[in-house]
Amino acid sequence: MQVSDRNRDQRSILVLALVCGVLQLALAPNVGLGNGRANFALIFSVCISLMVGGRKSVLAGFCAGLFFDLSTTGPIGLMSLLLCVSSYVMGLEGRNRVSGDFGLTMGSFAAHALAVSLAYHIAMLLVGQASGLVDVVLLRTLPTAILTILAFIPFAVWLTRAQPSGPSLGGGRGRSSRGSHLDMRGL
Amino acid sequence: MPISSGGRGKGTPSLRNNNQNNGGSLLAILVVVSVVLFTVSVRGGETGVLGGVRSGFQTVTSPVRYVGAAVASPFQGLANIFTNLTADQETLSELKAENDELQSRNAELEESEQTATRLQNLLDLKDTSQLQSEAAHVISGSTDSWSSTVTIDKGTSSGFAVGMPVTASSGVIGQIIECGATTSTVRLLTDESSSISAMVQSSRAQGMLTGSATGQLSLTLISTSQTVEVGDIVVTSGLGGVYPKGLPLGKVTSVQNNPGSLYLDIIVEPFAEYGSYEEVLVITSLTEGQQASSDDISSADAQDTTSTDASTSISASASSSSSDGTTGTTTGTTTGATTGTNE
Repeated sequence: MQVSDRNRDQRSILVLALVCGVLQLALAPNVGLGNGRANFALIFSVCISLMVGGRKSVLAGFCAGLFFDLSTTGPIGLMSLLLCVSSYVMGLEGRNRVSGDFGLTMGSFAAHALAVSLAYHIAMLLVGQASGLVDVVLLRTLPTAILTILAFIPFAVWLTRAQPSGPSLGGGRGRSSRGSHLDMRGL
Repeated sequence: MPISSGGRGKGTPSLRNNNQNNGGSLLAILVVVSVVLFTVSVRGGETGVLGGVRSGFQTVTSPVRYVGAAVASPFQGLANIFTNLTADQETLSELKAENDELQSRNAELEESEQTATRLQNLLDLKDTSQLQSEAAHVISGSTDSWSSTVTIDKGTSSGFAVGMPVTASSGVIGQIIECGATTSTVRLLTDESSSISAMVQSSRAQGMLTGSATGQLSLTLISTSQTVEVGDIVVTSGLGGVYPKGLPLGKVTSVQNNPGSLYLDIIVEPFAEYGSYEEVLVITSLTEGQQASSDDISSADAQDTTSTDASTSISASASSSSSDGTTGTTTGTTTGATTGTNE
């Protein structure tokens, strides 16, 4: 029974990674709001945090960030750093609370999208790639966050349908702890 | 299974167990890895190992970008149709009423004609300017919100290299900043970190054309003694040896002469705006005649000297009019600023 669940999780993660990867490469460059482009790597990492949480989400955040860094012209390692930290925080605090609730999921994601986008662009400012904070906030951060939040809506709908609210299905703690317990015993 | 997962695991999870579930140790490791990657990337730029990795990644993922561009192109055509409908409502309404199929065919033909025109313009530009160049297709825009770039469908396998200038039929669009085997990334003129030696075609006043986050182009370092008017054409000056001399860049839309300022504030509208080109020419090498001649360099030097003289005379008049002992400071500051510009 558990083996079946884990397989389903892995399949979901794989499909989600594929979808977000294709969207990041094919859709993001062609749909823009001013200077903003949707960040599907962030969407992927948040989805994994809400679905699975824990170590897997941190690893997924790192890989997604690296994918983003490699597909853009910015410095490599910056988005991977931000996304693994964001995934950790999201997996730690938001997972059980927001899973299954569309409003809370969107709210939590919006906060993360804004924070990650702002941190990314401020880091770019610090390495000397911009002339002012106003440009960074108004022309880069906000359009990026808005587009990313809009792009997350279908994913949020899917997440809330796939993981209805309630401790038995949303969750994480019971299933994860059992899973890790088995992992520790080589099962 | 209930026995193995019971009591201890559920009720009082150990610290190690908790840490594993939350991924704290993994986070710490990945943060360190990310910081190392970031540092290496920032220090090494695009020439290091990470540049090679990125180049390989972009080569591998280029088919997906092609698919994205192919899927998006019909929607761009659709947008053109809507634009035409609003532009000439009566004519197009009649046509639509007469025959929808004819309109669809008409749109296809228009698309083909525009493509043919663009390609012909590129060929004309190539012939007129005697450019040694290679044509390429734009396959996608900027992937991130940070930079204004486009990706083209050719790379090192076609002889492209970092630094090569790229132009559309209407004017220069930018310069290659990353080059994979089959794709290249072009930084656009409007990018904040873009900067090109340029001159005003009519007065030959030379300056630097720089981009900004707002997408506006500014022509800087043109002294207030020079004559620049709205509508003047700005072209590449050829100084620096990267861009051929005389390629069109844009048109002056605003000139401001602020009191006390040494340089004019000039806003330029680019000829080649993003979205208006699909085919581009990458200039692979420059002939001797396309580079700035020694006369051009002397002229630029003379312009700087004139600017220096002007600033010095301003300082002198300022110091003569004020007798409060600030002469040295005023002159020193102005001369220093001008010298910095010359450098």
